[in-house]
Amino acid sequence: MTKQKANKHPLAGKTMRGADMIVQVLADEGVDTVFGYSGGAILPTYDAIFSYNQQKDDKDEEQIKLIVPANEQGAGFMAAGYARASGKVGVFMVTSGPGATNCVTPIRDCMADSIPVVLITGQVATGAMGTDAFQEAPIVNIMGPCAKHVFLVTKPEQLEDTLRTAFEVARSGRPGPVVVDVPKDMQNWIGDFKGEGLLPIRGYRQRLESLRSAKLSERKCRQFFEMLEQSSRPLIYAGGGIISGEASEDLRQFAKTFNIPVVNTLMGLGAVDTTSEHSFHMLGMHGAAYANYAVEDCDFLIAVGARFDDRVAAKADLFAPLAEHVAHIDIDAAEIGKVKRVDWAHVGEAGRSLRQLVEYGKSIEFANDLGPWWKHLRALKEKYAMNYDRESELIQPYAVIEELNKLTEGRAIISTGVGQHQMWAAQYFDFKEPRLWLTSGSMGTMGFGLPAAIGAQFACPDKIVIDVDGDGSIRMNLGELETVTTYDLPVKVLLLNNLGDGMVRQWQRLFYEDRFSGSDKSLHRKDFIKAAESDGFGYAVRVTEKSQLLQALKEFVEFEGPAFLEVMIDADAGVYPMVGPGMGYRQMVTGDHIPTREHIEDDKRPNPIETTDAF
Amino acid sequence: MRHIISILVENEFGALSRIAGLFTARGYNIESLTVAPTDDATLSRITLVTTGNDQIIEQIIKQLNKLLDVVKVMDMTEGPHIEREMMLVKVLVASYEAREEVKRLADIFRGRVIDVADKIFTIELTGTSEKLDAFISALGQTPIMEVVRSGVIGIARGERHLRI
Repeated sequence: MTKQKANKHPLAGKTMRGADMIVQVLADEGVDTVFGYSGGAILPTYDAIFSYNQQKDDKDEEQIKLIVPANEQGAGFMAAGYARASGKVGVFMVTSGPGATNCVTPIRDCMADSIPVVLITGQVATGAMGTDAFQEAPIVNIMGPCAKHVFLVTKPEQLEDTLRTAFEVARSGRPGPVVVDVPKDMQNWIGDFKGEGLLPIRGYRQRLESLRSAKLSERKCRQFFEMLEQSSRPLIYAGGGIISGEASEDLRQFAKTFNIPVVNTLMGLGAVDTTSEHSFHMLGMHGAAYANYAVEDCDFLIAVGARFDDRVAAKADLFAPLAEHVAHIDIDAAEIGKVKRVDWAHVGEAGRSLRQLVEYGKSIEFANDLGPWWKHLRALKEKYAMNYDRESELIQPYAVIEELNKLTEGRAIISTGVGQHQMWAAQYFDFKEPRLWLTSGSMGTMGFGLPAAIGAQFACPDKIVIDVDGDGSIRMNLGELETVTTYDLPVKVLLLNNLGDGMVRQWQRLFYEDRFSGSDKSLHRKDFIKAAESDGFGYAVRVTEKSQLLQALKEFVEFEGPAFLEVMIDADAGVYPMVGPGMGYRQMVTGDHIPTREHIEDDKRPNPIETTDAF
Repeated sequence: MRHIISILVENEFGALSRIAGLFTARGYNIESLTVAPTDDATLSRITLVTTGNDQIIEQIIKQLNKLLDVVKVMDMTEGPHIEREMMLVKVLVASYEAREEVKRLADIFRGRVIDVADKIFTIELTGTSEKLDAFISALGQTPIMEVVRSGVIGIARGERHLRI
């Protein structure tokens, strides 16, 4: 009995407003930062945060920081950046109607990339719902298909349970965004705080429980190692599930123990140290040529926390065409067999599954000779390394990132917008650890980079955070430049300006005979330096000459405080390699500066490990 | 192939719209859909008829299992089962012969005339969807004023059952 008493919430039984309960649950969940914009239907809860912080006046560290963006979408991406960089649930809170609809994009973005966030939206009072009231929008209907789940609170006594459950759902299983729509009368309701309790989501919890306890059977382990034994060219294909599942250490251990090379998806960058011997960097539409050739050549593909997305496996049967076996470990059963039929699958946590395989492999003293495969791969890596026109008079974007990477040494948090600059950053930066690479992978949301960097800087105040952005993308949430200086964040913004939407132009060049419909911004008059200066950036510099680049990058990185660096790059620079939409890796275009391997039909191919070139 | 999928869901706000939304968003088709509470007031049972190849049906079931409100999912068509649908048909029976003919037809199909008005019969009929279709076509030239069908419900034969 005494133990039960000790576990009781200190505020249990206290009479308070619904709004205060919301804030108390946030505090109990360990939330230290809320991103959001106030408005009519969420006023009570904003007031409750104010009161909560007032009570904690003497203890700054217990206060909940309230970070106000220029636009609610910004708040969403800040929460997402915070969650991606820290692994904790990101929280944002907005008002009803337009406040809530502005959050649709970040919610869908988080869903597509499996990012745990909780969004609290104010809603008009229950009595006014359905009457086309001022700032009313049907958030349950709008967000339903976009989020992992949407709760609408209609019984005030369930308010605290609902909020706690929202956190549980956001972070459990395959993580994702959860929306809690709270009508104003629920926030104003006065009742007794319980301090405990969850909603009875029976089916979900039951499935979660079986996920948590999912263990690889002896038979499954044996089958896996039989496939590995038969293989002379195994390859790990690791995705974002490694990052969100905190399985990076286990993956590194697994790769090391059995000496298997790793290619990462865009979302999986940092899962293994990209500078390590086992890393073959990124595969896919804009993956490294050697990574894609490794996929072409492997005979056993081990997918972990990856989902054969169309930017990786546009044509499922052309993907890893020589693979005798494909194994797939994922926490989401629906991903197994969704795109590619696999020979061996396990639904469960990535880390736990990999640890089990390592233990089993050690117990049977598994050993195989992959010497020839490694020799082949090292030759691929050398011959088909990333490269570009190093002699060009114009500033090449690859050079900018290559030089910046030398300064940050794979330890900076990098966020991006979407487009060419995003791919260049993915290709030319190193990532020694997980959670350093923040990018809108699946949704591809332009405007993600700047707010995500702000959120990440709040999560990791001691890390260097750089938003690598494009002139198209940064315009989408340019208002958040001011947010950087308002909170005096040392966020660095590197703008690679190519006067338009470079990726769109690249596709127009390839598939639309140079008709640059809507993508040319060379006549746009925005002076980004003046914009940054007017928002209070103490460092705002434009580089137009190659000779200025190194010095500027160094100053930019070393500047203590908000810094903005615009580099006018070669507007015609393309992203290479490129695997066209709907094509296989063998049709990869490597551009003018990376060699292309001659293509031979699968059935005429000699054993890949006997030759580097003949593919 | 045609599948009957039975789903136990939390009797919560928005559960039905989420399930219907999943089908729309992912491009699966719904041929019929019925929903009603079960003996446990916290649970509703949805019976949904859909078509698709094995891979699509597997995805439908896996995607349904990701929804928070979904407690359990079962593909009835996987094993022996009983399916039923109810139909109410209102027909115009102007002449004595027509009334006789429709009454006889209803008897053959084990239907019942449940309402009679001047020149109008309303017939109730229960069975598999195929049987109901057959009755409609058997009505032939008889003018149909209205048809209402409940959508399919199904239950597994023998021990197999759907419960928490």
